[in-house]
Amino acid sequence: MAGNFWQSSHHQQWMLDKQDLIRDRQHDLSKLTDEEYQKIFNFFASIIQVLGEQLKLRQQVIATATVYFKRFYARNSLKCIDPLLLAPTCVFLASKVEEFGVISNSRLITTCQTVIKNKFSYAYGQQEFPYRTNHILECEFYLLENLDCCLIVYQPYRPLLLFVQDIGQDDQLSTYAWRVVNDSLRTDVSLLYPPYQIAIGALHIACVMLGKENLKPWFAELNVDMDKIQEIVRAIINLYEMWKNYDEKKEIQALLGKMPKPSPAPQR
Amino acid sequence: MGDNFQNKTMAPVMMDYEFKIKTQNERSKVEDLFDFEGCKVGRGTYGHVYKGRRKDGSDTKDYALKQIEGTGLSMSACREIALLRELKHPNVINLIRVFLSHTDRKVWLLFDYAEHDLWHIIKFHRAAKANKKSVMVPKGMVKSLLYQILDGIHYLHSNWVLHRDLKPANILVMGEGPERGRVKIADMGFARLFNAPLKPLADLDPVVVTFWYRAPELLLGARHYTKAIDIWAIGCIFAELLTSEPIFHCRQEDIKTSNPYHHDQLDRIFNVMGFPLEKDWEDIRKMPEHATLVKDFKRSNYQNCSLSKYMDRHKIKPDSKAFSLLQRLLLMDPNRRITSEQAMQDPYFSEDPLPTQDVFAGCPIPYPKREFLTDDDQDDKSDSKARQNQQQQPNDRRQNEQTMRLMTQQNQVQANSHDHAANNAKRMRMSGPNQGNNNQGGGQQEFHQQQQMMYGQQQSANQQQQNFQQRF
Repeated sequence: MAGNFWQSSHHQQWMLDKQDLIRDRQHDLSKLTDEEYQKIFNFFASIIQVLGEQLKLRQQVIATATVYFKRFYARNSLKCIDPLLLAPTCVFLASKVEEFGVISNSRLITTCQTVIKNKFSYAYGQQEFPYRTNHILECEFYLLENLDCCLIVYQPYRPLLLFVQDIGQDDQLSTYAWRVVNDSLRTDVSLLYPPYQIAIGALHIACVMLGKENLKPWFAELNVDMDKIQEIVRAIINLYEMWKNYDEKKEIQALLGKMPKPSPAPQR
Repeated sequence: MGDNFQNKTMAPVMMDYEFKIKTQNERSKVEDLFDFEGCKVGRGTYGHVYKGRRKDGSDTKDYALKQIEGTGLSMSACREIALLRELKHPNVINLIRVFLSHTDRKVWLLFDYAEHDLWHIIKFHRAAKANKKSVMVPKGMVKSLLYQILDGIHYLHSNWVLHRDLKPANILVMGEGPERGRVKIADMGFARLFNAPLKPLADLDPVVVTFWYRAPELLLGARHYTKAIDIWAIGCIFAELLTSEPIFHCRQEDIKTSNPYHHDQLDRIFNVMGFPLEKDWEDIRKMPEHATLVKDFKRSNYQNCSLSKYMDRHKIKPDSKAFSLLQRLLLMDPNRRITSEQAMQDPYFSEDPLPTQDVFAGCPIPYPKREFLTDDDQDDKSDSKARQNQQQQPNDRRQNEQTMRLMTQQNQVQANSHDHAANNAKRMRMSGPNQGNNNQGGGQQEFHQQQQMMYGQQQSANQQQQNFQQRF
């Protein structure tokens, strides 16, 4: 919980093994390539991010919602629940756990409708957001069950700020690393590594990009598994590489079409 | 375009049929696993609590099943589940499992069953006192209770969780069984992570702590809840255990929940404690309601009041270790009030009789078991604890409705504390917050060893020699 990551459900139940993750995705990866799969998650992470911003949630809450989303599909195929429904459900649940003030049902639905219409028309065209409150509420129970009621999620933001403090306050560095942490939500690192390692990985990337050579001794003094940090760095850099040659606006409709979808009850 | 968007009006299939059926088949229903019909033992704004047993007979333990009020996942239900899922300490109630009933959208929480609570225990002693009868309990019982309350709260506080609603009814005590006589802090629905609050806490639930246990700074409009607020409540509970009277008992007729300032409650506190001197509470001038305080109260009215006089009237000597600890818990200035950790190191706990893991120290438990409630018992809609308070304090009938209104205020959780992880990253510190006790002085060490030992042989002769009995 708040105090001790090492005794938390996050550490004890939700630090997943990379091999298990790959195995559990077999169904989806028989229909999508690794890269397509990642692009789809990138897209829904954007939906969660924009929804959260429209609802004026803090980044902490948005990050928690994104982790819920990733945890659900780490154990389930994309076809089990339409991600367009699960995304706002994660935002709704995370805001209750993390934030103050319940988002009213109607405000949530209205925001979904506006966001899909105004910001994601390149993906959904003229289609309206198709779900209502009752869908979200039903979905929320399934989400909570699949999360095994583990709702407290540790994020890299606080360790990041503490590390920056330790280095000696550097606003440019902290702003940059903070953004890298935001980007890391579009990779699997939040499922695979403890948040403090992700924070170090993000700092590392920020230092390299800002050309801060003088921080090498600081990293060297850290008593952490540098192999793990390198894995995190590589995952995030891979994301940046992918973005270089990717135009979501052009490709996403086709990807959503290819995505495995829920099957309805058999007709009698 | 995806094939689940064929036209504008038709909703896509939200959930896979096979997934739905599979999940349904794997899901257990609370009524399939537990017998609890007709076994309601509590009700309140939080919902209903039943005493239950497993139907399959795989064990014969009693369980508490709490059906959360209302349907679906309210914010307080989310907070309760999120926090309890993470908390693990012998003196904090343990959430075993959550049941989600999809058909009626009810949420059920499964706990170990606690036969007693301090509200009932104190009530029993009051009744005995009124009838001039004595209750035989181990003479260290109050000390054991207090020690375990502090231990549980220390755990919560070191995990950045505030209880905020500590009162006798929320302090449970286990009956016969493997955890006999162990304190369990309960009713964490209001608990809030307070590390780096996103918003001043007072904006959210204007008044939360039940009036008699509410710290003076809250009554003067303090905007942030603190650990010190829980410590004040523990001081109140300690005094009540020592005397069987709520120390800051106060009639409460017209409480405006939106306004934290409460004249009568402050008056009661000053009547016991005396009016605070500027030098004893320097920041009192900064309290939002300080002007009102100055306008409404005259120091001279409380000239002859002091905690030592109050406790002396209740046969607790001002030179006793119990009194000295009480005084440190009930300091008016929240900045001077001691922490749970400091309290646990107080000489009171190293003085004979030493606290025991079984607060009854192996003696017979004199308190009755919980009675089952029938649905006609609920003549009004008030909180069961409040309802009990009516019996205890007939004059306080109206307070209960107020309590209930308070309890329905919105509640939230913030979860954004990561500093331990960060520390661990750099220093690889192995000890968790609970191992902090290792840093204590020699006497305390001995005490811990002894407690450890007694825990190991709970029913042994060694334990029995502790069982001097006396009036509570």
